[in-house]
Amino acid sequence: MPALELNNVSYAYKRGKAVLQNVSAELEAGKMYAILGPSGSGKTTLLSLLGGLDTPTQGGILFANEDIQKSGLEHHRRNHVSLIFQSYNLIDYMTPIENVRLAAKLDAKPILERLGLAKDEIARNVLKLSGGQQQRVAIARALASDTPVILADEPTGNLDADTAEEITAILKESAYSFGKCVVVATHSADVAKQADVVLEIKRGHLKERER
Amino acid sequence: MSISKRAFLYVARKRGKTVLLFAILLIMATFVLTGLSIRKASEAAQLDLRQSLGGKFDVFVDWSNSPYVVKEPVKDEADEKTGKTASSFLMYSTVQFTPEDIAAIKGIPGVKHCGARQEDLLPFDGLSLFPGTVSADAKYQGYTMTLGTCATEDDELFTTGTLTLAEGRHISANDTHTAILSQDLAERNGLKLGDYLTAHRYNAEEEGFTGQEIKVQIIGLFTPNTVEQFGATVATYDKIQNRVFVDLQTSKEIDGGTINYGFSALHISIDDPQDIARVVADVKALPGIDWNAFTVEVDNETYESAAAPLATLNELVVTLLVVIIVVSAILLALILNLWTKARIHETGVFLSVGIRKSAIIGQYLIEVLLIAVLAFGLSYFTGNAIAGQIGNHLLEQSRQTGPEDDVAAAAAVDVGADDLIPKPLPAENGIQVSVGLDSLAQLYLIGLAIVIVAVSTSSITVMRLTPREILSKMS
Repeated sequence: MPALELNNVSYAYKRGKAVLQNVSAELEAGKMYAILGPSGSGKTTLLSLLGGLDTPTQGGILFANEDIQKSGLEHHRRNHVSLIFQSYNLIDYMTPIENVRLAAKLDAKPILERLGLAKDEIARNVLKLSGGQQQRVAIARALASDTPVILADEPTGNLDADTAEEITAILKESAYSFGKCVVVATHSADVAKQADVVLEIKRGHLKERER
Repeated sequence: MSISKRAFLYVARKRGKTVLLFAILLIMATFVLTGLSIRKASEAAQLDLRQSLGGKFDVFVDWSNSPYVVKEPVKDEADEKTGKTASSFLMYSTVQFTPEDIAAIKGIPGVKHCGARQEDLLPFDGLSLFPGTVSADAKYQGYTMTLGTCATEDDELFTTGTLTLAEGRHISANDTHTAILSQDLAERNGLKLGDYLTAHRYNAEEEGFTGQEIKVQIIGLFTPNTVEQFGATVATYDKIQNRVFVDLQTSKEIDGGTINYGFSALHISIDDPQDIARVVADVKALPGIDWNAFTVEVDNETYESAAAPLATLNELVVTLLVVIIVVSAILLALILNLWTKARIHETGVFLSVGIRKSAIIGQYLIEVLLIAVLAFGLSYFTGNAIAGQIGNHLLEQSRQTGPEDDVAAAAAVDVGADDLIPKPLPAENGIQVSVGLDSLAQLYLIGLAIVIVAVSTSSITVMRLTPREILSKMS
């Protein structure tokens, strides 16, 4: 059974510009998906719809065969999906462990340690960490919230190549070791290479790329 | 993580904003608390003033319009110097107030005293009087003012403190052939309690007090608390030390006829001048009093003059309070609005991890409340420090807006004996402003309302956006 299912989803901005047209896809647990496409193609929009941050103009998104709008978007965000952003989006007056505990259902400390943060680093102000460390905290927050789906929007966009590789590996491990359905919107071909399935948005349509 | 934990972390870690908000709330709270305390002190001073001054009104025969007024000509008198004769009249009302009427009036709630007198100039046998400063008409040599009353303790001279009963007891409604005179007069004549004074019934034919002998027993001695000032003109019979109080029965006997069976005028004092209209209405509603015979004259000027600055102060403070509260709410809302917009990133993150909008607003509210609780608490001391000074400055401003004569007049009470007893007013030396716990409690309620309004209005602009719109604004 797919973790998330896009069912003939269309989305248009209020001005009328269509971004997604009749998109359908099934996203399974334990796999890492990469969504590719040029800027403005609708990658972030697709993630927002999957994450319950916005609603499609037409069609529906199902989680465990249930329409997320019917079960409630807030409920969906809290229990089904975790979001990781390019700019990390950590709370600046909290330490890494406090950031992770924001919506944590699991113990934050072992997850942070497993992602490579030292003991003194997890109690430090989050802005004093490097970009890679901050993204690890963001991933730790996603893992600690114990949701089946992780949605990452350009998670390596602000990172150097080595760190980007490490973060991609962590995301992949999250899919394999924790059984998550990881969906990564990216421009990076390196990240796409690591994905189990690569989806590409072209002129509003989503297609699986041949590998 | 709980709402309160997040709020506490924000307040503790964002120290600059916390200190700034604390200072703003402290200033606002100090002004609000000062206003509340001044208002309370002003109301207390008004109450004090009302209780201190009381109110008074007179009820008397309507000599111009009453159908019961009788005007009888009396024997014409020839002037000794010119030889011309002059006609004179005896004027009286056939309807008068009785002791029963007085008792009924005293039973009305709010009535403090109801005094009434029959006044007569008459001589007492062998009574040596203190000489006046002006010579009286020859026919009144040896005469003094006799005040017939059914209760001396309700007489205005006693109720205003002009006279004090030094020995013995007051004359009451059931007394007959009793008298109260001044201690000075008693000493001058070697009299003491239990001794008798002798007067005579009025003889209409002889036009003098040459009738039947009437003995009255001295049951009380008074001391005057004021005397006429040096240089003041006063006749012997008007001197306060020469006055003699007698009971109503004795007064009627001395008068010699049946014309004056009661009183032509009542002087009524009440506890609260604000009640005066109601008490007058209650008096007028009493059964058995024919209001065709009487008229009412309300004298509330003293209270109104004295209360005017306090009333002005109260109005001023209420206006200031409203302005302070509204301005505080607007200012706080504007500041928080700016800060909430600056926190859009944080709001977006909270929404993305599934925290409800209500929980986010709740956190922002708790943050302000955490700071407000401390600021309001500290304002107890700052408010106390400045409230007194501001209160008296405002009172002084209020005084300057009123006519000075009125205020000066309010500082003295006319005691009806041609003398004035200076009476300090409660607010004469300023008002006592101190911040009480009730004012602090009011501040917390008002402050809570201001904070809720300010946080809610400041959050509307961000919270009406969808999570995606917020996240878009973030990027």
